Amino acid sequence: MELHLTSEQMLLRDSATKFVAAAGAKVARGFRDGVQSFAPSRLREAGELGWLGILVPESAGGLGLGLTELALVLEQAGRGLVCEPIGLAAISSAALAQGPNPHPMLEQAMSGTALVVPALQESGYGGNPFQPRARLTTQGGASRVTGKKLFVCADGAEGFLVSASSANGPVICYVARNAPGTTLSALQTVDGRKLSTLTLTDAPADIIPPNASSKNAVEALHNLALVALSAELLGVMEKAQETTFDYLRIRKQFGKLIGSFQALQHKSVDIYIRTEATRSLVFQIAANNTPYRIDPALAAAVKAKASDDALVVTQACIQLHGGIGFTDEHEIGLYLKRAMMLSSLHGNAAAQRREYVALAGLTE
Amino acid sequence: MFRRDTTAEACFRLDVRTWLEANLPPALRNRTTRPLPDELMPWYHALSRKGWIAPHWSQKYGGMGATLNEQIIMTEELGRIGAPHLPVQGLNHIGPILMEFANEAQKARHLPPILAGTVIWAQGYSEPGAGSDLASLTTRAVLEGDHFVVNGQKIWTTWGHHSDWMFALVRTDPQAQPRQAGISFLLIDLHSPGIRIRPIKTIAGDDEFSEVFFDDVRVPAENLVGKLHDGWRIANALLGHERLATSNPQFSLMALERIKIMARASGIMADPAFQDRLAAISINVTALAALFSHAVELTNEQRSPGPESSIIKIFGSELLQDLNVLLVEAAGGLATVDRPIETEFGEVDVATPFLQARRVTIYGGSSEIQRNVVARRVLNLPN
Repeated sequence: MELHLTSEQMLLRDSATKFVAAAGAKVARGFRDGVQSFAPSRLREAGELGWLGILVPESAGGLGLGLTELALVLEQAGRGLVCEPIGLAAISSAALAQGPNPHPMLEQAMSGTALVVPALQESGYGGNPFQPRARLTTQGGASRVTGKKLFVCADGAEGFLVSASSANGPVICYVARNAPGTTLSALQTVDGRKLSTLTLTDAPADIIPPNASSKNAVEALHNLALVALSAELLGVMEKAQETTFDYLRIRKQFGKLIGSFQALQHKSVDIYIRTEATRSLVFQIAANNTPYRIDPALAAAVKAKASDDALVVTQACIQLHGGIGFTDEHEIGLYLKRAMMLSSLHGNAAAQRREYVALAGLTE
Repeated sequence: MFRRDTTAEACFRLDVRTWLEANLPPALRNRTTRPLPDELMPWYHALSRKGWIAPHWSQKYGGMGATLNEQIIMTEELGRIGAPHLPVQGLNHIGPILMEFANEAQKARHLPPILAGTVIWAQGYSEPGAGSDLASLTTRAVLEGDHFVVNGQKIWTTWGHHSDWMFALVRTDPQAQPRQAGISFLLIDLHSPGIRIRPIKTIAGDDEFSEVFFDDVRVPAENLVGKLHDGWRIANALLGHERLATSNPQFSLMALERIKIMARASGIMADPAFQDRLAAISINVTALAALFSHAVELTNEQRSPGPESSIIKIFGSELLQDLNVLLVEAAGGLATVDRPIETEFGEVDVATPFLQARRVTIYGGSSEIQRNVVARRVLNLPN
């Protein structure tokens, strides 16, 4: 169903569509074997368009917009298999902008000249993101953090927003990539991107204050990441299914277009329903929550649904393509791999459902 | 579910909740079978006197003219208290159609009794030989002077034997090609001579349905809605309303509450495997609420959701069945008991709603027909 958007929101979406027209499967394929998994110049371009500061208040130099606008841009990024980590950079800028004096890295992060990404995850199966095992200690006004973060999109990053527990409860702190006590070890993913383990040993850290409306900075950034990833997953499944429906309209077998066969039509409708349900969920949550205080049960719900649906949809797309869909040469496999990547980050569907049971009070 | 109420909306919600608590008889709460008219209609009349029977109707026609958010608040509060399922053929189906397609005399005659609850409407679409293939319907209406003479049979007529009027699709041109071009939309007084109505008992034990026989029934020509032979277009507009209304998340939310009570009573709630399934299905109920809010939003903007509304019907009806499957699982050995089960957390009916839920993927166009419609008209897949 079409979205109910303001004219400003439609303009924003149009500009994101134009940006994405220069991306797509072919460009994403080109980064697979490269040294770097995205183009720094394109990240700066996204910065110039204002997207990396989309949530940052105007007083701090950003666009001061909300979750709907963020979701509109990231939906397009997902459609175009954009490799620049726009979503992670945008939510990190939003965090850096909080407090009476924004963090010195904000300007570079917002312009795309330096990439800052969240480093929140500590366990493969999700763990409890709200009570990090990483510890932050403060002595004589200087803070240091010790801990281990998994699955960090560290490729090309200048710094990290690390979640940690402190004497005052959970906090987010900024740690520079080249800070003493910081080591990274990277794993190559099927998507062509690298995910790194970040080990911190008494690394110097700047505490990033939470937004006044947030319960704490960790919860705010985690929930924002879940919504951002869900919007991008939505774009991935949209474009994958459209590519598939196009194929069903031209491929012939038994002397007929295969899209005329009822078995394939019903399978197509099944994936369309999943995509539309995720779409309504993403945009209803975006329209009714503010960026720094997203209902935690809804954040878990949308990430669970988007992760699940994106994997089901992209797998079905390969089935509907038949043999050609199983080849590396065909682009449809790239959507499955991107879906695998995004759905795994910050807790996959199973991890989100486990959180949701408690967050929604299901057993009470 | 998604938004926080404004101050004014919070006041409205409190008003609704307080009034429902004070006025909805406890015996009518959390019923899994629709009560009979004698028990149910006084509740309809009470809502009508309060002015809350038709939140979605404009004030021009005597409705509440409620905002989208107020409508959603009412839905949520009715679900919360477990309000019974009202007869909605008048409020949700023929009412909106009359507003769109009827002449002033028809509106003036038929809309007020729907609001007041003095007339109950039935839908006359399906026939023994025209189910999924609705356009093959053969109930014949022949214009003789100032009357149509109707002969034929309708079936699966919800609450037919409790209804006063029927809006029916009748064949007025048997030679028309395509067949859809020979169908008209007629309002029939069910108390007319020549009508016989027989209730049909369902697998759930109730008789929500009936079959209606027409034997030389005389219907005044003024009861034709729209133009002669133009009924198919009107029927399709109506199906859009029906698909949306039957997918209201209220019923899924109530089913979810039943599962939680049953799971706590049986002890399965402590099982992590069950919790995972409960979380998954609860997230899908949230997604249905999002789809529904989205569609209502578009409808309120006068941008009818069109054939896409089929997906809400498919998603909502299949979800309701999945919920009832989980309810049966939560009940374990008690699932086969054919009456409400007493638990320490309240009474839960298991077998009845499970059996009743079989119908939701059949009526209003089966899930398979809906998928055909979406494949052709939304996804533009070839014929």
